Amino acid sequence: MKTMKTMKTLIIIPAYNEEGSIAAVIADIRGHVPEADIVVINDGSTDRTEEIAKASGANVLTMPYNVGIGGGMQTGYIYARRQGYDVAVQMDADGQHPAKELPKLIEQASRYDLVIGSRYVESTSYRSPYMRRIGMIFFSQLVTLLTRQQFTDTTSGFRAAGRKVIDLYASYYPIDYPEVESLVYLKRHGCKITEVSTEMHRRKAGRSSITPARSVYYMIKVTFSVIMSAMRYNRTAVIK
Amino acid sequence: MFINVLSVSIAITFLVVVLELVRRQRLREQYSLLWILFSIVLLTVSLNVSLMEWIADQLGVKYAPAVLFLFGLLFCFSLILHLTIVITKLTSQVLRLTQEVAILKAREALYGKNN
Repeated sequence: MKTMKTMKTLIIIPAYNEEGSIAAVIADIRGHVPEADIVVINDGSTDRTEEIAKASGANVLTMPYNVGIGGGMQTGYIYARRQGYDVAVQMDADGQHPAKELPKLIEQASRYDLVIGSRYVESTSYRSPYMRRIGMIFFSQLVTLLTRQQFTDTTSGFRAAGRKVIDLYASYYPIDYPEVESLVYLKRHGCKITEVSTEMHRRKAGRSSITPARSVYYMIKVTFSVIMSAMRYNRTAVIK
Repeated sequence: MFINVLSVSIAITFLVVVLELVRRQRLREQYSLLWILFSIVLLTVSLNVSLMEWIADQLGVKYAPAVLFLFGLLFCFSLILHLTIVITKLTSQVLRLTQEVAILKAREALYGKNN
């Protein structure tokens, strides 16, 4: 088993118009895990995200147009696979995931296929935290039921993936609202998943992609995808 | 009998248009087969009104042309379903290409710097 220092680690940061926060996020990572490489997936931003990320010293993959969070994130995993990384950590560009928690996630990634950073400090920046809470509990229950493993924070986008998961995500990753479904997909492929408690900040800049109008669609779409994923044969085309 | 002449000519025109589109490579063979099948059925029914009436009778439909609407509608639905399947496939292919382009562009920029 490789130790944390010898594991080749990549931090994947999908970013869509995050010029206000991306520099601080990259600096934060450099300060806590200087040995990790950083790749920013610039998903067709119309602002200076690409420029600022490059100036901050990150590798930048720029999508020619906006492909959405799932397609962007998967690009990061394909890149991680080709470059032979042992661990890939996905992290938000808006500053809600503190880099000081990274060592904890990366360390656990040597023992588990996927490590989820679970928030014990609830983010309350959203307008209706109560509804959001209900949604999160609902998804936790649903995933727990379908996978027979207890999950507390299925919508967390703060995750560290080992080689097995990097390969699986490079082959298939849900296109929109991917967090919950991607867990069921991994469990269907026999991955070992754990949650570690991490602190999370309110976002520093930008807005949540989930508006009240979209949340109904979100609930229905994710529930449907999760159930379909649980019923799917685990047959996956391998992408080289 | 004017309606018979009309429907036969529509069916023949339709079949010719589909075949011509395939010949000019404006329509792929795989997608044209459904349309060709559809126009042949249309032609058969137009030429043979008693066949239509017999089918309507068997199904217990009082108004024979309603059977035509039923099958026409079913055909449209299955074709639209087929199209959305094709779109889904195209969407994933375009996404995969986009991802490859993003990765290749970054690599190219890196080599450009070194040379």
